Amino acid sequence: MELSVLRAYLPAYLQAAEATLAIAGLGLVGSTLLGLVIAVAQYFRWPGARPVTAVYVELSRNTPLVVQLFFLYYGLPKLGLVWGSGVCAVVGLTFLGGSYMAEACRSGLEAVEPHQSQSALALGLGPGPALRHVVLPQALALATPAFTANAIFLIKETSVVSIIAYPDLVYVAKDYIGNDYNTSEALALLVAFYLVILLPVSLGAAAWERRLRHAGFGD
Amino acid sequence: MSTIGLATRPRRAAASTLGLVLAAACLIGLAGCAADSDSGPDTSAAGSSPASATTGSSANFRDVAQIQADGTIRIGVFSDKAPFGSVDAQGDYVGYDIEYGNRIGQDLGVEVEYVPVEAASRVSFLETGKVDLILANFTVTAERAEKVDFLKPYMKVALGVASPESAPITDVAQLAGQKIIVVKGTTAETYLASQYPDYDVIKYDQYTEATSALLDGRGDAWVTDNTEALAWTTQNPGFVTGIASLGPADTIAGAVQKGNTDLAAWLNNELVDLGKEDFFHQDYELTLKSVYGDVVSPDELVVEGGQV
Repeated sequence: MELSVLRAYLPAYLQAAEATLAIAGLGLVGSTLLGLVIAVAQYFRWPGARPVTAVYVELSRNTPLVVQLFFLYYGLPKLGLVWGSGVCAVVGLTFLGGSYMAEACRSGLEAVEPHQSQSALALGLGPGPALRHVVLPQALALATPAFTANAIFLIKETSVVSIIAYPDLVYVAKDYIGNDYNTSEALALLVAFYLVILLPVSLGAAAWERRLRHAGFGD
Repeated sequence: MSTIGLATRPRRAAASTLGLVLAAACLIGLAGCAADSDSGPDTSAAGSSPASATTGSSANFRDVAQIQADGTIRIGVFSDKAPFGSVDAQGDYVGYDIEYGNRIGQDLGVEVEYVPVEAASRVSFLETGKVDLILANFTVTAERAEKVDFLKPYMKVALGVASPESAPITDVAQLAGQKIIVVKGTTAETYLASQYPDYDVIKYDQYTEATSALLDGRGDAWVTDNTEALAWTTQNPGFVTGIASLGPADTIAGAVQKGNTDLAAWLNNELVDLGKEDFFHQDYELTLKSVYGDVVSPDELVVEGGQV
């Protein structure tokens, strides 16, 4: 392992890490919002919500991200819709993550005792405020472990986006392996960068879960 | 809650600390391991002893006697680069490189097991001993020659630029500011990176992905071997090879793992013998003629007996 090679590669890896974080962040926000909407729609039994979301959840969870990205990037242009690789990556991550986030939120919502929302309604809160002030805070706290596990899963899933030519960490590593044949340096940096991104997320998530547990009652 | 909480919290903290320490240890181990192996290739690149060519992952090639004893030679080829190496509707490998590979298997008296490779993985497949020989339209370059042992060439090639007929690229200067498609690990990528570092290049892993991207209008031009550009634009109406010869003229040759002199010597002798019967001209007639038609004459591409 040549230290000078590692140093020379560092700027490109930093730039690629930014690109990885950008789609991971946007994908995470997108899938959280999508998941929340789906869970709430199911919770309130909006008409038609169950069958539609059930189809989406099964489709999203039972197809690999690579296949979803291939469809978005190489398939949609055949239908006249040409999205750039960054857009495809975020849409793909949102499509994949949305179902996992929905399941996390749903389990959180279902874990909140029904008498909580019934009591809130009986005290004169409307359905909206009851959800916002009473049910959701408890549900989201309960869903946190599942949420953080999904977040780490989604960040790791970004590692396949180089197949649609998105310049993430793997794309840059493949560049250096293919052009300079410095395989060990390129792979060592790849591992190091993913650890630097994911270890703080894992440790932060663990700390956050410990804090949130204080909000629980009765256990 | 409080007793359970108090009992579990320190344990969880200890567990995550342990995880952190283990992860750090792995990283250091990885770095150390890679550092060891890298002092190997640098010194042995001078070519002292093949057995120590690379530590750990290497000295894993098979010589001619071992290949014949095992009864199978593993050859890395393209599976998506017609007419050189591709898979037909029956699932069989076909193409110019495959004809050559079949003949090698026949003359060695062994079965041929074809292994599909990507452009960027050709060197690693040899280095890790996954294949004995690469016959995947492999252009000879100085950088690659440091990592693998090339045989005598069997084709010659330059770069070509394919672009839509409606907006043809006929001069390399026109590529400035355009989106240029290349396949990772090809000479086109290296050439553009060294000569035109400011050009906007989009890189794909597979040839099919690159051509899909060109068809979908994701780029303004595709830079690749001129053989490939000519073959593809002949088959795809609406696209032209506006530049048929760009960059230095290169040769294409098979390659074996660094230090496998026994297999290399056998294959080079074989190549000279094949030249005596004009094998590659027959190969051209069989696999390339239908693609190139009158656009190219065989002598512009084919090299017999390693004589460029």
